[in-house]
Amino acid sequence: MDLNSKKKEKKQVSSSKKPMKEKITTVELHRQAVLLGFMVIYVIYGIVFYYLPLGGWIMAFQNYKIKDGLFHSQLVGLDKFKFLFEDELFIRDIRNTLAMGIINLVVTFVMAIVFAILLNEVRNKFGKKLVQTISYLPHFLSWIIVTGIIHDALSNTGIINELLMNFNIIKSPINYFAHEGYFWPIVAFANVWKETGWNAIIYLAAIVSIDPSLYEAAEMDGAGRWAKIKHITLPGIRPTIMILLVMNIGNVLNAGFEVQYLLGNGLVRKVSETIDIYVLNWGVSQSDYSLGTAAGIFKSVVAIILIVIANAVAKKTGEEHLF
Amino acid sequence: MKFKRVLALSMACMLGIATLAGCGKTPTGGTTSDGPMGLDTGATFEEDQIIDYTMFIAMPGSEINDGNEIQQLIAEKTGVRVKETWLTGQTAAEAVGSILASGELPDFIDGGDGMMQLYDAGVLVPWDDYIEKYPNIKELYSDVEWESFRQDDGHIYWANIFTNTYGESQATSHNDEAFWIQCRVLEWDGYPEIKTLDQYFDLLTRYAEANPTMEDGTPVIPYTMLCEDWRYFCIENAPEFLAGYPNDGSVIVDVDNMKIVDYNTIPEAKEYFSILNREYNNGIIDKEFGTQTYDEYIAKLSTGRVLGMCDQWWDFAYTVNDIFIQQNLDDIGCNYVPLGLTLEEGKEQMWHIYGDTLNNSSGVGVTTSCADPDRAFQFLNDLLDQEIHDLRFWGVEGVDYLVDENGMYYKTPEMRDQWADSSYQASHRCVYSYLPQWLGTSRDGKNAMQPQEQESEFFAGLAEPLVNCFEAYGAHGYPDMVGSVEKELGPWFPMYSYSNAMTTATPGGVAWTRMGETKHEWLPKVVMASTADFESTWNSYMEAYASCKPEDFIAEMQEELERRASVGQ
Repeated sequence: MDLNSKKKEKKQVSSSKKPMKEKITTVELHRQAVLLGFMVIYVIYGIVFYYLPLGGWIMAFQNYKIKDGLFHSQLVGLDKFKFLFEDELFIRDIRNTLAMGIINLVVTFVMAIVFAILLNEVRNKFGKKLVQTISYLPHFLSWIIVTGIIHDALSNTGIINELLMNFNIIKSPINYFAHEGYFWPIVAFANVWKETGWNAIIYLAAIVSIDPSLYEAAEMDGAGRWAKIKHITLPGIRPTIMILLVMNIGNVLNAGFEVQYLLGNGLVRKVSETIDIYVLNWGVSQSDYSLGTAAGIFKSVVAIILIVIANAVAKKTGEEHLF
Repeated sequence: MKFKRVLALSMACMLGIATLAGCGKTPTGGTTSDGPMGLDTGATFEEDQIIDYTMFIAMPGSEINDGNEIQQLIAEKTGVRVKETWLTGQTAAEAVGSILASGELPDFIDGGDGMMQLYDAGVLVPWDDYIEKYPNIKELYSDVEWESFRQDDGHIYWANIFTNTYGESQATSHNDEAFWIQCRVLEWDGYPEIKTLDQYFDLLTRYAEANPTMEDGTPVIPYTMLCEDWRYFCIENAPEFLAGYPNDGSVIVDVDNMKIVDYNTIPEAKEYFSILNREYNNGIIDKEFGTQTYDEYIAKLSTGRVLGMCDQWWDFAYTVNDIFIQQNLDDIGCNYVPLGLTLEEGKEQMWHIYGDTLNNSSGVGVTTSCADPDRAFQFLNDLLDQEIHDLRFWGVEGVDYLVDENGMYYKTPEMRDQWADSSYQASHRCVYSYLPQWLGTSRDGKNAMQPQEQESEFFAGLAEPLVNCFEAYGAHGYPDMVGSVEKELGPWFPMYSYSNAMTTATPGGVAWTRMGETKHEWLPKVVMASTADFESTWNSYMEAYASCKPEDFIAEMQEELERRASVGQ
């Protein structure tokens, strides 16, 4: 509670200063010429690298051929979008992408927070550093290596099957990649293993910045560890959680390409293919870049809608929000 | 903290040293002046005159080292050095699609199934003028054959480089598909006649029961198959062969009625998959077959544990056979021999194709990003020069092969072992395997263009169990083991050169892509169904298959068949 009221105070202070800034005079412009110059560079950068490429979206409404280029390809209106949404495979891939995106979001999110809090409770400095270092190392491995390790670990002669068989839990090895039911959990696990340590860093930083006097005061009041986590740590990192959540929700449709592409196979195709793999198979592989662009536009639109909704919800509930 | 820093520093040092060692250049200065065998033209090029070209090959392969010895020799003689890069972890079409999208083209490209994409994008240089200008290139194909490469805009943009025979054929290999079996299995059963799929699995079963493990105690795998990506032909197209037809790849051509037949739905297909299903449930087929990657598959074969599989020779033999030699597994009879199987005994089959198969849907092309196409074509011409060709395929005389008093090339056993060694391949051998080349007889009229076709080399290079096996069956090479009938093939053969080039621009192409996706999913499912569920799984598969509209695909293939038949007459 205390924290929130402090924040609000700060905000009011800063907003009361705003009207003064709005007077743009030539003198003021002149005074800030150097700063404005720097800014112009970034505006140009933004236009060139973020906005100009959007012109390529026109490809989605053409039957784009490399030979004819952007200006001479035949216009086909919404045909490419029609092809996409009449294709059962694309609908199936939207489902897979959403499902894996949501599972990954929830699982990696929860795991990172839990891990950060647990790590924060470790009193032994050396142990804490060691665990933290080891846990974020997998982040630096590329997916090709991670999927290789997972593929090996889960193979018939891999460590998981060997362990389960040695403990007599199963009689014969299970071929995990041959069953549709295992695929999403495997992908979620892969994501958790690779990213938990890394994602936890930002929460750890947020926890460290919580005023220690709050903990001391709570201790005086007789709060145990659990109570401190619940009433001080969690509320303390709540703004961080909300901002990351809003930002990550827009990424749900980017549920991945490498993991599913590298771990998938014919048997689990029904649940493993994502929108990105669809674009690869039907767009890039067939030189049908228009189809790929159309799918890309779809993804962007959905992402924007999701972010706006999440942001609005955050705003409504009085939480930290992006815009 | 200090310890960490020291560790990091020492690791960085090690990395640095390793990188430097990797770059170690073989001294090249001396070879120019005292090189023993200059080209007839006598032209040699200094290092600063050598042009470096890049090449992308839409097939997996091993990169050779920078400063590779034979590559350097070829560069000094021709003035050109080509850096080859290969497909990694993608399909050919994906790779070509991304190269096109990036706009960064290599100088040479073999796009595999993606050649049509390159043509559509207009990034290939027409060959027409250069074919006339350079005699060695023109010699590659007859006028009729060159015509078949012509695209609808009237130009030729690529030439296929494989199965092209110079002079008399020396073929001893079965560079096609077959059911393969380790020769020790045949030897164990006293070299029986294996003609049908049932006999084949029966033999594998009996052998595996009697010899359940390798010497080191790892269990044998009686049969495995590959279903990964485009290589799923290993499970997919056997029905066309089992029904007695040649490798048209995507369809069967019923010659009597000139009709295209879909081999996915013929009764032979169902019988084949029911046999696989039975053997899977009997534990004969590798439980992991449906999920293994190509690398895992090759790794499995390389241990000698796999007794049999259905595959194309080129898909496994070049890697696996070399490893067998290094591991001495060839001495215990792990090498594979092909069998020409059918479903019922006494049926004619055409697993082996005698003579050249012209796949005009792919090959090597020169791209528009090549600054001097004429120089590139001159290089292709030079590569077909006999001396350079010998360097590519036989190696350096006196080092990799010797010449006897009759002018015949031969290798000592040490040379053969060295030739098969992978580090030697990287540092010394430079085949340029996806640039124009010849099979058949050398221009000297005696030797074979490529060592594996030299009869003396072929038998001398075989491990003893293989020789015994060939002798027992009275075979002079792999084709005799298959025992296919020799039939004249129509001008339409092979039909896969058309289906490979299909894109989703036509309904047939869309159907073809969908059929592929469906088969990728269902074929392993059909095999892995429990015996009781086989019928129902097969029916669901057939339903899913029918919903892909295979008739659209068949109709376009029929049209092409008729077009090709009329051109041929």
